[in-house]
Amino acid sequence: MVPESTTTVRPELAARTAPRPRLTLANVVKSFAGRTVVDVEDLSLGNHPIEGLIGPNGAGKTTLMRLIMGSLKADSGQIRLERAGHRDVVLSRLHAHKIAQCGVVKTNQVITDFDGLTILDSLLLSVTPERREFPLHLMGERATYEEHRAEIERQLDHFGLENTRRLALSAGEKKLVDIIRCLLLKPAVLLLDEPTAGLPGEVTQKVMDAVDDLAGNGTTVVIIEHDLDVIWNLCTQVTFMAEGRVMLRGEPSEIREHSTVVESYLGQGHV
Amino acid sequence: MVLDTFLISGLFHVVMLIGLALLLHLQLGLSRIANFGVVGFWGVGLYAFGVLYVRVDWPFGDPIQFVVCAALATVAAGLCGLLVGWLIADLDVDGVMVGTLGFATAVALLATTEQDLTGGALGMGGLRFPYDTGDVAVNELIWLLVLVALVAGILAYVWLVHRNPYGRLLIAIGSNEPLAKSLGKPATRTKLGLFTVTSALMGLLGAMYGVMVRFLEVSSLGIELTLAAVVGLVVGGSVRVLGAVVGVLLTVGVFDIVIQSYIPLPADWYTQTIPLLREVMFGLALILVLVFRPLGLLGHMRRDRLMKRIHGA
Amino acid sequence: MPSPGGLASRNLGGPGRLAAAAVAVLALIWMTGNLSSVVPSLVIGLTEHAPLVLAATGFALLYRLTGLINVAYAETVTLGAYFAMHLNTTYGLGFFAVLVPAGVLAGLLSVATYLLIFRPAKLRGVGVLELIIISFGLSIALRYGLQFVFGTPVRFFDVPPPDSVNILGVGVASFRLVALISVLVLAVGLYLFIQRSRYGLMVRALAGDEALAQVSGIRPFAVTVLIWFIAGLAGGMAGAFYGVGSSVSPMLGSRVFILILLVVLVGGIWGLNGVMVVGIGTGIVLAFMTLTLGQVLYAHVVLIIGFLVVLKARGRRLTESTKV
Repeated sequence: MVPESTTTVRPELAARTAPRPRLTLANVVKSFAGRTVVDVEDLSLGNHPIEGLIGPNGAGKTTLMRLIMGSLKADSGQIRLERAGHRDVVLSRLHAHKIAQCGVVKTNQVITDFDGLTILDSLLLSVTPERREFPLHLMGERATYEEHRAEIERQLDHFGLENTRRLALSAGEKKLVDIIRCLLLKPAVLLLDEPTAGLPGEVTQKVMDAVDDLAGNGTTVVIIEHDLDVIWNLCTQVTFMAEGRVMLRGEPSEIREHSTVVESYLGQGHV
Repeated sequence: MVLDTFLISGLFHVVMLIGLALLLHLQLGLSRIANFGVVGFWGVGLYAFGVLYVRVDWPFGDPIQFVVCAALATVAAGLCGLLVGWLIADLDVDGVMVGTLGFATAVALLATTEQDLTGGALGMGGLRFPYDTGDVAVNELIWLLVLVALVAGILAYVWLVHRNPYGRLLIAIGSNEPLAKSLGKPATRTKLGLFTVTSALMGLLGAMYGVMVRFLEVSSLGIELTLAAVVGLVVGGSVRVLGAVVGVLLTVGVFDIVIQSYIPLPADWYTQTIPLLREVMFGLALILVLVFRPLGLLGHMRRDRLMKRIHGA
Repeated sequence: MPSPGGLASRNLGGPGRLAAAAVAVLALIWMTGNLSSVVPSLVIGLTEHAPLVLAATGFALLYRLTGLINVAYAETVTLGAYFAMHLNTTYGLGFFAVLVPAGVLAGLLSVATYLLIFRPAKLRGVGVLELIIISFGLSIALRYGLQFVFGTPVRFFDVPPPDSVNILGVGVASFRLVALISVLVLAVGLYLFIQRSRYGLMVRALAGDEALAQVSGIRPFAVTVLIWFIAGLAGGMAGAFYGVGSSVSPMLGSRVFILILLVVLVGGIWGLNGVMVVGIGTGIVLAFMTLTLGQVLYAHVVLIIGFLVVLKARGRRLTESTKV
């Protein structure tokens, strides 16, 4: 347990000196209809800035992320979040929205959007504090935008997204909006589930730049990605999963050389 | 203007339904809570008010007696909203439908069985306006104006909700609850809060109706009221601020005011044929609108225009 | 509708099991306190409320296999009663002679609503919530349309006054006994049809995965029409039994609809068998409470509240389990 007094440390200093936010999974099991999909005995994410999660289809990667996010409940086991300047929290005991409030957020593999809301709406939703969303707080709209205008526009500029007073049209746009609204939440731990799938090359690079930037500022990033070049270039630690279990962990170069990975994964046409 | 009692009660009914449809707009249109038990919450307000007003020996006289009873009735309806909302909080559309419909059924049954309190199937009199001008028509007109003020307040609130973060939160939760939760939004609590407050206001409208009719009948607790509110909202446009207003005017307004007051028909038609025809037409309107124009006459929410208006292009 | 929780659906979750156990224990304690009412309520519950089982089975079929809460099913029940009553009083046919034709007519009506309303709506991409509201509108239109045609007064079948049979000391009209047997035969037949027959297999395959069923050579359209017909048949016959047991009015179906709905949602937790068991249990509990509370409406209120509590305890998994 970290004593309360450490909260007085200047945040930018803490980011550099203090350990990163860390997720610890212990004996996390999830099964559907009698089939075990995730069975992770012991896994700690956050000793490295950017962690990669790879494995064949059905290895349980996305399910693992959903368990961390609380959108699925594990059958047993514990998921903890350790974060400098904060008390340790057992995420697996919290409701999904509380987990997000602890700073753990995730982008989605499948296109996910709010029907009827504009791009600007989606972004404002992320930055609006809870007190402004109170039913009787009926003056907060303009102020919310003014307060966060700079960071919203910075992100929009970075990703080259224009004209936000409209519904997101293409799948690619929706994907970008999904990523930006997570970035705006200033996450402690950011889970990326195939962030570049369906995005053109130059946009992929922008996403990677943003992720790099975030990791440099103390956020722990966990990334699932089928494009293994992204993993080898970006990650400092890679976890290889198969059949719901953690099979291997190590630096990208080690994992890359390992015969199991090469056979079961790269052999399937992912070279 | 001639103080035609028929016209005043018709207008009262229309304005009340605009109020109910506006509240339903917040529940169903924005937050996608399928409340099929509107009449239940309205009925709790109506009967709680009636029973408190008539059966309890209050130490004070009328304006205060009305205010106290109406406030308690509103709270009672709100508590029912909280309870039902909690019961259906993590159920899907089907569960929400059964929960709210079951609640409304239970309210109607209890109003019938608890004869000592409610008068049961015979009904209960003894209600009156909290003031008296000596002329019933004037009393009713004043009461209509009070209701208009209340519903205008609800309309203004809904208008503001659309223009503030709270409305955005409701729309986000209604459109994609898991996504809203994953962004740290307390979806369940928000829905529960909304359901409680809107149910309470439905109860208040019920209490005001009680004063207007001054006689409680179990038959008013049937599905017709829920239907009218749903039809009004759906026909006008369930996601637009003015959808409830436009829709109720075009449906209930046409039947309860235009036909009842302005179209010459044989006398027995008004009591026999028209009420049945009204329900049949409402049912068909629901089917036609939802199949061919699911968002009603006013159509899409148009957040794009709204965002431009608030935050510039 | 594929469901990730499919196989697990037979097992009640922790809170669900707890709630069910608590309800059962309370019911037992209460029943032992009113022992004298137990036997009569068993007999009355089984005979008088037997149509509920049939109606619920038909509704459950439609709900589980198409995923639609069809509020207008209430009017299928009502119309079954009207068809039977009409055939009975106009042509002087006996009750059991009109039962099947009435059921078939109700089945055809059910298919017509699918073809004219629900299928076009689904093809236009109308959402689940909107489909429920559409069925609500249809229910209302049919109900008041019936009142328009037949008027509000209740009507009766023209059948000879029933002779009373004594069962365990309780007088029961003989036709109710026959009704009970027919209902059970029909419900079990329906169950076997779905679980055992070739068509039943197609129906279940379609419910599981439409695309897969299609490549396996099943014609979804034909099977869906079949489902709507069988559901209407069951509902219509249930209506006929309800009608001959008491009277026929436009409100007949909508009065029992909430019970049908709750039986299907709660019983559906344990599959189609669960619907039948809970349906029978509901009939008995209804009879028992009517005898001990002296007020049939209280029994309804208690049942509604009880069922809602079970649904609450069951929680979110409701969706996964009831639609397989």
